[in-house]
Amino acid sequence: MHYKWKTGMWAFVFHRASGLALSLYLLLHINVVSSLYNPAKFDNTMGFLGSPLFRILEIGLLAAVLYHSLNGIRIFLIDFTNSTRKHSQIFWLLAVVGLIIFVAGAYPMLHHAGIL
Amino acid sequence: MEKGIGSGGAFAWFFQRISGAFLLIALLAHFWVLHYASNGEVTFQIVAQRLATPLWKTIDLGFLVFAIIHGFNGFIMVIHDYIHSHNLRLALVSLVWVVGILIGIMGMITIIGFKVPVGGVI
Repeated sequence: MHYKWKTGMWAFVFHRASGLALSLYLLLHINVVSSLYNPAKFDNTMGFLGSPLFRILEIGLLAAVLYHSLNGIRIFLIDFTNSTRKHSQIFWLLAVVGLIIFVAGAYPMLHHAGIL
Repeated sequence: MEKGIGSGGAFAWFFQRISGAFLLIALLAHFWVLHYASNGEVTFQIVAQRLATPLWKTIDLGFLVFAIIHGFNGFIMVIHDYIHSHNLRLALVSLVWVVGILIGIMGMITIIGFKVPVGGVI
């Protein structure tokens, strides 16, 4: 197998990596939410997850969700519309959009964690 | 071409795109409802008020099922691409199915089985 490490290939690799990470997060998320059967336990868990460490990890979650969502839109466009040849331009356009949303989201998150 | 487990893959490919589009919309709503509409606080009281209603149970069940299938379908696609040994592939795909079904049941128990505690939530 021979890979050409250009934009599309990186986009594909990061899509898979972020997808696997999000699936693992989903496992933890369902596990955490299952504590709802006990009100005190749920609020305890939420308090624990409100610590600065998890607030910083959540910024990583934001990055993974953003990347996977925006590149997912790109995949949808490439596969279902006549824009396959523009896949590289679409990638960089969405990268700018993603970076703006990331900063707009990460700043209040850091602020909330008491860091900024 | 060798026929592997779930060979073909056209449905997996198509489903991934359709469920992805659905999940993007559902996730935006999920994020908005949990982190903006209620001032960003996630407490038992706030969550319980929603989860006590059949409408929210239905919405959350749909979200749960699509998210799990999308995520684990992705896992299986990656396994098919990189694992060439038939036995290892069978083992890993089975593992993904087992974990997916178990975590799905866990989520369903949380959503369907949720009851407002005696004394209410407000």
